[in-house]
Amino acid sequence: MFRIDRQLIKNFDWIMLVAVLLIAAMGLVNLYSATYAGKTVGTTVFIRQLFFFIAGFSFIIIIHLFDYRLLLKWNYPLYAIIIGLLLAALLMGGSIAGTQRWINLGFFRLQPSEPAKLMLVISLASYYYRRDTGRGFTLHDLLVPIGLTGVLFVLVLKQPDLGTALMFGAIFVSMTLFVKLKWSTIGIIFGTGAAAIPIGWKFFLKPYQRQRIETFLNPESDPTNSGYHIMQSKIAVGSGLKFGKGYLKGTQGHLHFLPERHTDFAFSVWAEEWGFAGSLFFLAVYFFVILWGLNVCLASRDKFGVLLAFGIVSLIFWQAIINLLMVMGFLPVVGIPLPMFSYGGSSLMTTLIGIGLLMNIRMRRHQVTKN
Amino acid sequence: MNPPKQVFTKIKKIDADELNQLKKRTDSVTLVIIFFIAVIIARLWFLQIHNGSKYREKADNNRVRMLDIVAPRGNILDSEGHTIITNRPSFNIVWVKEDSPDPDEIIKKLSLILNEEIAVLLKRVRESLDNPRHIPILLKEDIDWKTLVYIENNHYDLPGVRIEVLPRRNYLFGDFGSHLIGYTGEINQKELEERKWENYQGGNQIGKRGFEKLYEEELRGDKGVVYMEVDAHGFEQRQLKGKEPLPGNDLQLTIDLDLQLEAEKAMIDKAGAVVAMDVNSGRILAFASAPPVRLEDFVGGISTKNWQALLNDIKRPLVHKTIQGQYPPGSTYKIVTALAGLSKGAINSNTVFYCAGSMPFGNRRYGCWKKGGHGAVSLHRALAESCDVYFYQVGLKVGVDSLAEYANRLGLGHKTGIEFEYEKSGLIPTSNWKKLVKGEPWQEGETLSIAIGQGFNLVTPLQICQMTSALANGGLLYKPFLIEKIIDPEGQVVKQFLPTVDVELVGMDNYLALIREGLVGAVNDKRGTGKTARLKDVTVAGKTGTAQVVAMEKFKEVDEEDVAYKHRDHAWFTSFAPAENPEIAVTVLVEHGGHGGSAAAPVAKMVLEKYFAKKYGLGTEEVKEGQAPGQ
Repeated sequence: MFRIDRQLIKNFDWIMLVAVLLIAAMGLVNLYSATYAGKTVGTTVFIRQLFFFIAGFSFIIIIHLFDYRLLLKWNYPLYAIIIGLLLAALLMGGSIAGTQRWINLGFFRLQPSEPAKLMLVISLASYYYRRDTGRGFTLHDLLVPIGLTGVLFVLVLKQPDLGTALMFGAIFVSMTLFVKLKWSTIGIIFGTGAAAIPIGWKFFLKPYQRQRIETFLNPESDPTNSGYHIMQSKIAVGSGLKFGKGYLKGTQGHLHFLPERHTDFAFSVWAEEWGFAGSLFFLAVYFFVILWGLNVCLASRDKFGVLLAFGIVSLIFWQAIINLLMVMGFLPVVGIPLPMFSYGGSSLMTTLIGIGLLMNIRMRRHQVTKN
Repeated sequence: MNPPKQVFTKIKKIDADELNQLKKRTDSVTLVIIFFIAVIIARLWFLQIHNGSKYREKADNNRVRMLDIVAPRGNILDSEGHTIITNRPSFNIVWVKEDSPDPDEIIKKLSLILNEEIAVLLKRVRESLDNPRHIPILLKEDIDWKTLVYIENNHYDLPGVRIEVLPRRNYLFGDFGSHLIGYTGEINQKELEERKWENYQGGNQIGKRGFEKLYEEELRGDKGVVYMEVDAHGFEQRQLKGKEPLPGNDLQLTIDLDLQLEAEKAMIDKAGAVVAMDVNSGRILAFASAPPVRLEDFVGGISTKNWQALLNDIKRPLVHKTIQGQYPPGSTYKIVTALAGLSKGAINSNTVFYCAGSMPFGNRRYGCWKKGGHGAVSLHRALAESCDVYFYQVGLKVGVDSLAEYANRLGLGHKTGIEFEYEKSGLIPTSNWKKLVKGEPWQEGETLSIAIGQGFNLVTPLQICQMTSALANGGLLYKPFLIEKIIDPEGQVVKQFLPTVDVELVGMDNYLALIREGLVGAVNDKRGTGKTARLKDVTVAGKTGTAQVVAMEKFKEVDEEDVAYKHRDHAWFTSFAPAENPEIAVTVLVEHGGHGGSAAAPVAKMVLEKYFAKKYGLGTEEVKEGQAPGQ
């Protein structure tokens, strides 16, 4: 189990590590600017994020000591722990702005919905791996995955955190479509989904969530509130021009026009200060990581690795896409961070653990399992 | 749940077939990813490159706030360069509501400090509700030093309350030349629309009357601007760059400070006008309308109470009497009648008429002011002693239309064209005029009234002064003017105003000389009507006049003092000096002053005395800067 032979070290995914370190560096550099206030060097936010990166990279190393297939064994106990954490957040979580998303651990406020995303990926991968017969899944086979997703979805929606809840849906749909489905099943899923949207709109969404979506569809109608965020973000990104305003010189961020500039709108700060060129460089590195992660699917020795790698990639990919489209004004403000770039310990740790798993799968691609 | 052992024993290896299938799937997933990358890059290109400059501008508008700096208005100087009107810093109380945690408390405190009703302050707050939150609300203008010091010392207790320094008009000589100077006020909606292409904004000051209005373009200067970087909450972060305001140009008047002050002093407690003119150029040396208006009352808008008081004042302070006051010329018109008579050959220097105190005409008697009669009078005596009967005769001989012709040539009956607002033209009647306007034919008897300056005749003091100047200088009717030059802030003359001759009376030198002699007599002869204007060292020539307000028949038996103020006659005196080589003409009208000799001539004398005292350096006390007249 703990055997790390030479072969494995030789297969260590250095490329992924370097690319992720590059993103981490950009994220920290950007965070420093986003929270920069005059001459004080090293804000608490910056130092905390630095700590989370160090912790996250340690996790990556630790994860390599274990075979990812252990997750098949620990899947349900872990799932139960996550459910417990989500319930704890709901029951005793600190309510910030009317939401119950956090569990205060003293040095760190854990946001259990973040590891829950990864947990869902692991659970679905395990389930589909075990149940795969090669003949395609029927609707009946999907009841368990729907249940696994649904519990998390409801618990997170209760917080309320619509963005994260929808992420569960996105992960579920992506992974389910990736495994083989019967066509009839696909039809039924889409039919139900289409019917659920209006019902969900009417009964499940809180008024502020509805308003966010409405302002997105008509941003000029409410320039002082929700639309304001999108407008200011577009101005920040757009005003970066070709080469940006220069590091620490972005006006939109530093003069507080940008909301949530170190969390959800971190990329706006980057785009404002580094311009089109800097943004392209960032996107190149970022999507390289995603495509490199997708490539793990083909390298994996077994189907669990394939499904797990795909789930982790889709987890990072969808969050990144939603976040980027949001800061550029293509999507409403839903509160999805840009993984590894936005400030936030829970999201960062979860993502880095995911990256660690990807690297683990790639490292063990040629390993022959001994019985 | 599967037992854990199973997991490790049954690894589902991926066979070639499955790998193929997997490859197909990851390929389509890659396509999806590439599609989204393309969308994001396209969006980025659209925002940063295609529309980048638009967003850059928006970002700058976000962070940069433009603040105007009011330019100091140009100064107004007298003919010798003494400053009459300048600027002083004034301190206004402004309030940024969003900086105050407890607005109600602030208003309460300010009400006590500023000694203003809470309702008044709230009204100002309400008027500015539409403005952006960071724009300061003006609560009180021009606070005094004590209040300023108090607010500065207590500014920690008054968050959001600030003091704004603005240049404000400083009237060094109080109401000096109030009708000329005019005043400034906040620009109104109509003015804003009229001047929408110029750089005006609501709240700006603009000239409302007088020179402040007429020379607004020169006086206003160019406002400066500072660019302030602000954060999203509107708080100022730092000053970026800006443009210094450029002060307005100075106006140098033709008005002589000392003469004007003397004229205003002489007119204290009276209503009327004094015009002093350089006879050889048309420069106005003094231009006083009494009573003055209090300019300070108009700064920042006049109160209804003060306005009503001005409107109801029997002395009509709002009327600028030098050019807006129209009065019958009285006996000053005899200059016109004499010139018409001489020019038409109706009389010459030797012509003598007999004055028995009255003259019968038609079915009534036309009296001379001297009931005992003047006896046999020549032109000289007729002018000196202002014999009415003599001029009845002249009037009858030349007729009303000839009188009107010469009146017109002497500048009466039409505007002088002085560059000032609201000038009146007066009225010189002709037989045609009466037919057109009144629908009645001219009565010969009316000619008698016209000949001595009563009846329909109406003139302004400026017209009479212009006429007197032309008489004095030998027949040149100069267009009167008030501005000598316009000087830019560096001291360069931008524009110099030069004398212009409107009318030249040709071939009348002898006649004018005869009339001048008569006017010399009026002041210097033993029985002259204008003796009260006589000076020791300088020969003054002048003509008195008494303009009837109502036919005095009614009050014949009444002592003058008992006649109601508004029914009393207007007193005229028009003069020039020195008689031998005239330099200055002074015309005085005292509304309801009674006789010209007693009410108006002494005023003219004071002005003339001042003029010559200054010229020959005789003992006159220098006027000190900042000293208001009459104090």
